[in-house]
Amino acid sequence: MKSLISAVLVCFGLTAFAQEKDSTLENLQHRVTELKEQTDGLSEQLLALTPVVDALKKIKISGYIQSQYQVGEGDGIGSLAGGNFAAGVHSRYQVRRGRVKVNYDNDLTQYVLQIDVTPGGVAIKDAYASLKEPWLRTFGLTAGVFDRPFGFEISYSSSNRESPERSRVFQTLFPGERDMGAKLEIAPPETSPLSWFSFKGGFFTGMGPTAQENDNNKDFIGRAGFALQMQDAGLAIDGGVSMYLGKVRSNQRAIYRMDGSSKAFSFDSSASNIGSYFDRNYIGADVQVYYELPVLGGMTLRGEYISGKQPGTGGNSTTTNYSSFYNAAGTPLYQRDFSGFYVNYVQNVGLSDQFVLKYDVFTPNTEVSSGDIGAATPSGRIALTAGDLAFATLGIGWVHHWDSNVKFTFYYDMVTNEKVNANAPAALNAFKEDIKDNVLTVRVQYKF
Amino acid sequence: MKTAITIILAASMFLGFVTLPADVITMKGSDTMVILAQRWAEIYMAKHPGVTIQVTGGGSGVGISALINGTTDICNASRPMKKSEVDKLKARFNVLGVEIKAARDGLAIYVNEANPVKELTLDQVRRIYTGAITNWKDVGGPDAKILIYGRENSSGTYVYFKDNVLMGDDFSPMTQTMPGTAAVVNAVSKDKLGIGYGGAAYAKGIKYAKVKADSDTPGYEPTEENVKSGKYPIARYLYLYTRNRPTGAMKEFVDWILSQEGQQIVTKVGYFPVK
Repeated sequence: MKSLISAVLVCFGLTAFAQEKDSTLENLQHRVTELKEQTDGLSEQLLALTPVVDALKKIKISGYIQSQYQVGEGDGIGSLAGGNFAAGVHSRYQVRRGRVKVNYDNDLTQYVLQIDVTPGGVAIKDAYASLKEPWLRTFGLTAGVFDRPFGFEISYSSSNRESPERSRVFQTLFPGERDMGAKLEIAPPETSPLSWFSFKGGFFTGMGPTAQENDNNKDFIGRAGFALQMQDAGLAIDGGVSMYLGKVRSNQRAIYRMDGSSKAFSFDSSASNIGSYFDRNYIGADVQVYYELPVLGGMTLRGEYISGKQPGTGGNSTTTNYSSFYNAAGTPLYQRDFSGFYVNYVQNVGLSDQFVLKYDVFTPNTEVSSGDIGAATPSGRIALTAGDLAFATLGIGWVHHWDSNVKFTFYYDMVTNEKVNANAPAALNAFKEDIKDNVLTVRVQYKF
Repeated sequence: MKTAITIILAASMFLGFVTLPADVITMKGSDTMVILAQRWAEIYMAKHPGVTIQVTGGGSGVGISALINGTTDICNASRPMKKSEVDKLKARFNVLGVEIKAARDGLAIYVNEANPVKELTLDQVRRIYTGAITNWKDVGGPDAKILIYGRENSSGTYVYFKDNVLMGDDFSPMTQTMPGTAAVVNAVSKDKLGIGYGGAAYAKGIKYAKVKADSDTPGYEPTEENVKSGKYPIARYLYLYTRNRPTGAMKEFVDWILSQEGQQIVTKVGYFPVK
């Protein structure tokens, strides 16, 4: 009897277990079907989203902010380390640059807009469209406002540059770095045996990024470059030669030309000068060497030399004065031959640090030396000015990369000016000695 | 002057010379290489308990970006670095990067096991992926639409395929983008009309289409012999990239990868040794 009861119980048990198992399997199958439907639904959503995400991927937004504290050697000094100090001030905070860049990259075509937002206002830095032909992928065209294709330092981004500012020669000749125009670019693809070669050249207003065009002359700016890489040796040598062929129109009668023999300016007030064009021609060469030193890490040695003819005013040679020449009552034009160069050494130390040494010289008037400026002027000639003085800057600094976004720069500019003749008039007294205009910069940059 | 130099030196001492522990090595990059890199890491760490190796994928482009940003020690890449990427390394670290060829791979063309197509010329593959051929009957298969699977543009395999098979042309907009080679293989294994590409080590549940350099030459599978002899037309190197010349623990690890033991792991995973 007991056996019978046990057998019945076991049967019931097995039946119940089997039913439970069937039910579990059924549930599992149901669940799997549900999950598959959900997965299929997600896959469909993903397929629908993919083109949207692909389109969004083409939009790239980047930018950086540079905030800095500076201490000058004297109150109210003139400086190219971020602009002149205000009268009576020798220390200051600045937002030096606040860039936001939007780039729509459609592979062979690009749209770029970059603005600079600082307490000083909002300025357009880049606004251009570029396209590359699809067949050889070698020739490209860019039109709008963008970096002038001259030398190396102009196009080397301020966010990457180890020294806080560009060299004096570039700040004088190419303030703001950009100009309005159109350029052709030749950059053979990496598979080409000519991939080491590049050319960028085009025609520009010559007035900078924002000033309005006010003559029909267009300035040619171009650079032919090379990039040689010896991967096994860890050595790269890049470089190029650049040319600027331009003209500046003056609507004034008064023109000052340098007379090398008398070490002074000649004055020309011919009526025919009104509406005449004056040469603005530069030629330059640049080279960059990269090499990895054992233990220390990568280093680079960069150098650039420029010389040519630059129209300027009596007081200085900077390009930003050009609009005044068009004004009949504006500041008159002085024509000078100039030269300038810089040498920049950067040594990486470990993963996060860089030691920086930079020396630059700008000679705005190559036909005179320091003793000529302020010396007695021959009859019928016009005296040289402070705008003819050469300046040299030795910069020493340390850059620390906190992470991939943040870097700190500690940099000291030691500026030396040419000294004028001991008999110079009172207006040039300040330049009888080296002006106390060294500047210490402590900068933090956030880049994304 | 003295004050300025003192401040610069003090700041340098405060902020400078911050280094990571020497024996933690990070590897990041190619999804094609992620299994291989994990095997290398596992076996090397077992033999060198003092060394920690962290391996992550994401694609060759992601790995190269990490190398440029300083967030990885070694980048795994299934394609060579582009000039624009070397330029970024030069701008930040003043170096060109060190390229180490660590393995070879035949870039396989996957088709479903049920697909009667056995071989394709390079030109046919190019025309399929650019959208010029859309039906299997045009390459000797059934009268059915070809479903093409590919990789994301951060993938080195994507770039290599685009540069060397599509000869720079764009992928057909009908290409379904998959997040990894395993996903491509999985999709083709379930899709009778599918075609995909990827590393030779991933071929499970699919078959290789033999690839012919042109219509007059025989087709070859991406076997070691065919890849080494150059008969298989879409073979490539798999690379390790470092910023500087490897030293210390990293050098020992890289040397081990290139040793007989490291190269045996290459073979076991399904790729081909460089030596």
